[in-house]
Amino acid sequence: MSSVNGAVPTTIIVAGLALAGYALLMTALNRRMNVPLLAATGVLEILLLVEVGIVVAKLAGGERPASLATLIGYLIATPIVPLAAAFWGLMERSRWGPAVIAVAGLVAAVLMVRLHQIWPVIHV
Amino acid sequence: MSEPAASPEPAASPEPAGSRPDSTRTGPGRLLVAVYGLFALSASARAAVQIATKFSHAPVAYLLSAFAAVVYIVATVTLTVGSPTARRIAVLSCSIELAGVLAVGTWSLADPATFPDATVWSGYGSGYGFVPLVLPVFGLLWLRRWARRPRTAGTTVTSAPAAGRGVAHDEASTPGQGAADVVTDGRT
Repeated sequence: MSSVNGAVPTTIIVAGLALAGYALLMTALNRRMNVPLLAATGVLEILLLVEVGIVVAKLAGGERPASLATLIGYLIATPIVPLAAAFWGLMERSRWGPAVIAVAGLVAAVLMVRLHQIWPVIHV
Repeated sequence: MSEPAASPEPAASPEPAGSRPDSTRTGPGRLLVAVYGLFALSASARAAVQIATKFSHAPVAYLLSAFAAVVYIVATVTLTVGSPTARRIAVLSCSIELAGVLAVGTWSLADPATFPDATVWSGYGSGYGFVPLVLPVFGLLWLRRWARRPRTAGTTVTSAPAAGRGVAHDEASTPGQGAADVVTDGRT
């Protein structure tokens, strides 16, 4: 939170938790997947891609984390999360579609914390 | 993937088959498969990195991580397929998973020296928000619903309240659905 490069992960955590809250509300209200939920998932996807870009730029700059393999794994998996959730949630025509999106929002927030643990130069 | 014929408006679908999940991967199963898939991916990636880069550091922990990964993969696939055979394998893998998280959780607390690095199941899954402990329970409850009445699926909830609180609650909270089932099911 203290530095400029921490702004994006922090935004992702807030956005992920907000998305999870909104999606869980939709589940509680017995609503199925809708356009606002899908759009919010798209916003989260874009934010995650920006974060991946920032981290890749750091790697390209010659910096290296202690566990490069783990970091690369996270960089690959991170953008897949909202896409897979949207795909899987859209196939569901009940309240459980939004529930899948809620998981994606929570996972996005957790991934940012884990990225910081793997490579502390990624500030949260 | 076949889309469920389900409609969220109970009034619009008098047939029980139309108002409830038609497979272990639909309805609540959609969420279950998503979380299982997540754990299958993260556990196998983690185990692969650990075994490839520093196996000698904590061989027991890393082998258990790999075992957990295999169990999660099997559970994800079988819950997605949902055929009677797949459901039987899913019950087995969920049971192994529950036994594993309890055994490894206890082992990791009793003998921390064996676990210098954490597994998915260390401390009863505390590093993963205890989801590994809760997940097999929900998996078994979900599968139990299908075991009771394989083809007409799920109508057990109204006639057998013991079918699991989590699932039963979810069903009951869907307005009108439970009532519609009683009527069309004829309380067999």
